[in-house]
Formats: sequence, structure tokens, C-alpha cells
Amino acid sequence: MSTRVGILGVGQTSYRRHHADKSSAELIFEAVEAALRDADVDVADVDVVLAGVAPDALAGENSVERTAMIGAGKPLLRINTGGVTGSSTAFAGASYVASGRARIALVFALERMGQATTSQQVFNTIFDPVYEKDFPLTTITMAALRASMLMRMYGYTERHWASIASRNYRNALRNPLAHIHRDLSPEDILASPLLAWPIHRFEACPMSEGAVALVLASEDVIGDRDAAWMQGFASRSDAYAMGDRFHRPEGTLVDLLSLQLAAKQAYADAGIDDPRRQLDVVELYSPFSSAEAMTYPALGLTEAHDGPAFVEAQEVDLSLPRFNPSGGPQAANPVSATAMVRIAECALQVLERAGDRQVEDVRRAVATGQGGATQFSTLCVLGSDRPE
Amino acid sequence: MTTASDLITIKGNWSFDYTYFAGETASRFFKELREHKRVMGTRCPSCERVLVPARAFCDACFCRTGDWVEVGPQGVLETFTVITAAFPGLPEPPVVLAYATLDGADTALVNLITGLDASDVAGTAERLMAQPRVELRFIDEPQGRITDFSFEIVQG
Repeated sequence: MSTRVGILGVGQTSYRRHHADKSSAELIFEAVEAALRDADVDVADVDVVLAGVAPDALAGENSVERTAMIGAGKPLLRINTGGVTGSSTAFAGASYVASGRARIALVFALERMGQATTSQQVFNTIFDPVYEKDFPLTTITMAALRASMLMRMYGYTERHWASIASRNYRNALRNPLAHIHRDLSPEDILASPLLAWPIHRFEACPMSEGAVALVLASEDVIGDRDAAWMQGFASRSDAYAMGDRFHRPEGTLVDLLSLQLAAKQAYADAGIDDPRRQLDVVELYSPFSSAEAMTYPALGLTEAHDGPAFVEAQEVDLSLPRFNPSGGPQAANPVSATAMVRIAECALQVLERAGDRQVEDVRRAVATGQGGATQFSTLCVLGSDRPE
Repeated sequence: MTTASDLITIKGNWSFDYTYFAGETASRFFKELREHKRVMGTRCPSCERVLVPARAFCDACFCRTGDWVEVGPQGVLETFTVITAAFPGLPEPPVVLAYATLDGADTALVNLITGLDASDVAGTAERLMAQPRVELRFIDEPQGRITDFSFEIVQG
């Protein structure tokens, strides 16, 4: 990299089932306006605009990003990599800045799925129409297929899934932007209706809409201002078919090879060799508890077979990183935006601007992204210290 | 100040018709289902895996596949879910969705498990967690579609 990159400003709308008081363009405007204000940057000083919107059918509007024209006259690109749309968009902006093509990049992501009557029918259309789409493959069943595999291979129980979700809901109570503000105990979650065994309704993420924006800047723009420095960021892809990822020596379907590889690169860039001790906060792209469990070994926090014990240890071992202080995607999942929200939340933690959800003494925070049937993974390390 | 009743909503509907092109490789795979009631894979000359269902290329090795290989008719259940909630446009529950690796294949294949009373969800889950053997069950008049067959648990 030719220059270091930092996040100067963060803007978010709240996340909820519907924002009936705002059109799609107005949601984007609100997040962007807040990010520019937070960064104390004028829109005229932005060099490039990058927009993240995942499947258009979730909103029932095509290319909605162009309806909120931000900074007309500047280059604009739209990015869609499914669940990692938000982080891919942030990384594209960071790459513009790192390469010297831009001094200030404005990135935003919008989810407008509140306009859809049902999301699972739309999500079925992301699967291959030739071999897969005839089956009830959806985001929920995809997660359930992995959850049952994790239970068989590593001994997770429905109780573990419920306890992860309960912790996320509890954290969300301190995040005014979260969609779900309910103190749900593991018992409440296990008592909620089954959607697809072993997934209960209250373990599944909600359908949320909202927008997020970040202002990314080069080292010379940042000067001696406070910034959340991007100490390392990497994205990795994997084979398309889930069935192709069962029998391979480098990792099964639940080993999240793409996240392992992204973590390896980003940790190396950020100088992390003991993530369990060096990370203070981890914001995970985990719309389901099983999705969270899959990340632990991929992030180097525990061995896969120790995963269930690691879930239990989180409640007592305070030296471990804090997971999802925002509540994570189980408390708000604006799909296109979710992976950028993770980065935004880590930036707020590092900048000590996270309000009631602020964790003490955060020097380093990690944000993950997961997309396309875990075909895509991203990892971003943010720190309060300027990278060397 | 705007109140909720002042906010306008406008009804919308996306309903488009499409014709999906399966391509030569999947067309042959479907013809084998329809005419011979058999499941075929293609072998990657580089990693030597037999990819099922048949693929024109291996996306792990970035190379074209070679030989066609018949797999099954039995295999091992890899993972599953018992779908218990109804969603618009998707089949009525309970439905058991699973991945199974057919004998001779190096990849798992998604399909439904049929011939199983899944109304006892916990009991079904417990049984399927033991990774039973499965076998292909073809419909009487295959249409040349992936839905021409399903998995059934091998008894005994």
C-alpha cells in the first residue's frame, strides 16, 4: 500500500422492519449526511463514491443507488457480492485511497428489504436455477444445514445456539440503532417456533432495513485527527457449490475456508499473531448462531472441536474479545449493509464513540463479512494506532 | 409533524417470466436422469474429483472436466434440516432437505429426503444425525429435471 487508510466518519440510520417515513434515496441521504458531518468533510472534497446494494429483488427496485445521486460529477461504482456487499464496498473505497487514486472515498450501503412481503422466496433466487433452485434452499435452510453439521461434528447443542443468540439480544439493548430490543433468554429462544430444525424463530435474524456510510481518508488528509485505522483488510472467495465443500482436506463446509484465508492475510498486515489476546472487540456477520460458531476457529480464537466450550468460556473469561457489542445481525440484519455496519461499529469502538455500547480500552477491533452461501468472506482489522 | 397515517405506501409486484439455459453438460446430466434413471458426474483431470451433479469445469482447479462417471445409487447422508415453517412460494412443511454423497462421488448433492414421516421433528433429527445410508428414488416418469429423484433412507 502506498498510503495508510483510516475511517474519519461513520453515519447510520436506525435499523428496523420498515422506514415508512423515508424513500430509499432519503435513507441513503440520511446515512451519508451523518457520515460527512461526523468526518467534518464536505461532499465537494469526496473523490469517489462507492455504493453497495445486494439483490435488487429484495427491495423491488432496480439500481436504487442511482436515485440518491451523491456528489454528481464524481466517479460512482455499485458493488454487489451478496452478504459481503457492504464490506466489499468499503474495501473498494479503501483500495482507491491506498493506491492514491482518491484522497477521500465515500462508501455507503443500503438495504430496503422492508418493501418485500417475504424475503425467503427472493433469497431462493440466489441459487443456481439448473441444479438447486427447485429445492427450498434459502438463507434459513442454508444455515440450518450447517448448524446440524456443527452439532454432529463438534457437539454443539440447541442450547449453545440459544445462548449465543441471547447474548446478542442482550447486547442490542444498549444499541439504540438495533432493530430488536428484547431481552430474550435462552429459554425464550428455545420456546419459540422451529423454522427449520435446529433453528428457532428467535435465533434467526430479522428482516431489517437501513443505510450506513463511511468516510475513508488517506493519511495526509487525516493528519493528527482521530481515525479508526484500517490496519488490515482482506476478502477471499470459495467454490460455488456447497456440495463441493464437504470432502476436501483444507476444510469442510463448516470450516469457513474463505474466512480463514482472509484472516491470515489481514492479521499478517495488522501484525496480529495472538488474536485471542490482541483483539478487544469482534463484530461478526452472524445472522444465525451457527454462523457465529463457524467463525471462531477461522479467526484463530479456538480449535473447531473446542467450539462449544469456547461459547461457554465467553461468559466467564473476561480476557477474551467482546463479541458483537452492537448486538450483531441477530438484532438487525440489513443484508446489503450488514457487513459495512460491522466495520462501522468497530470504527465507533476504536474511536470511543459507541455510546452505551462502548467497550472499555479498545485498541483493536475486527469486523467480518459473510456472503453467498459462505462463498465470500471478508475481514477488516481496525485500530486506534496508525499502522507502522 | 407527519403521523403514520399520513405516510403513503404504493403497491408493487415483480413477476417476470424467464427461460433458464442449462447448457450442454447439465443437459446431458438431465438426459441421463430421464432416459436411464442414473446420476452422472464429471471428473476433474487435475484434482481427480468426480463432481456431482456433472459440471463443465472444476471451479477449484479452473480446468475443464473430462470423463463422465455413473455414481450411486446409494450414498451417505452428510447433513440435513427438517423444514417446519411455511414460507410463501416454497413447499409445504414438513420437508427434509439434505446433502448426500453418492458412492463414487467426491462431492455432495442437494435434494429432498422422501419416504420419511418427518412429523416427529426431534425423532427425525436424531435418526438423521446418525448419517444413515441413502439411495436414489426416481419418480415413475422422469422429466429430465433435478426433481426426477430424491433420497430415501436405506432400511435395515
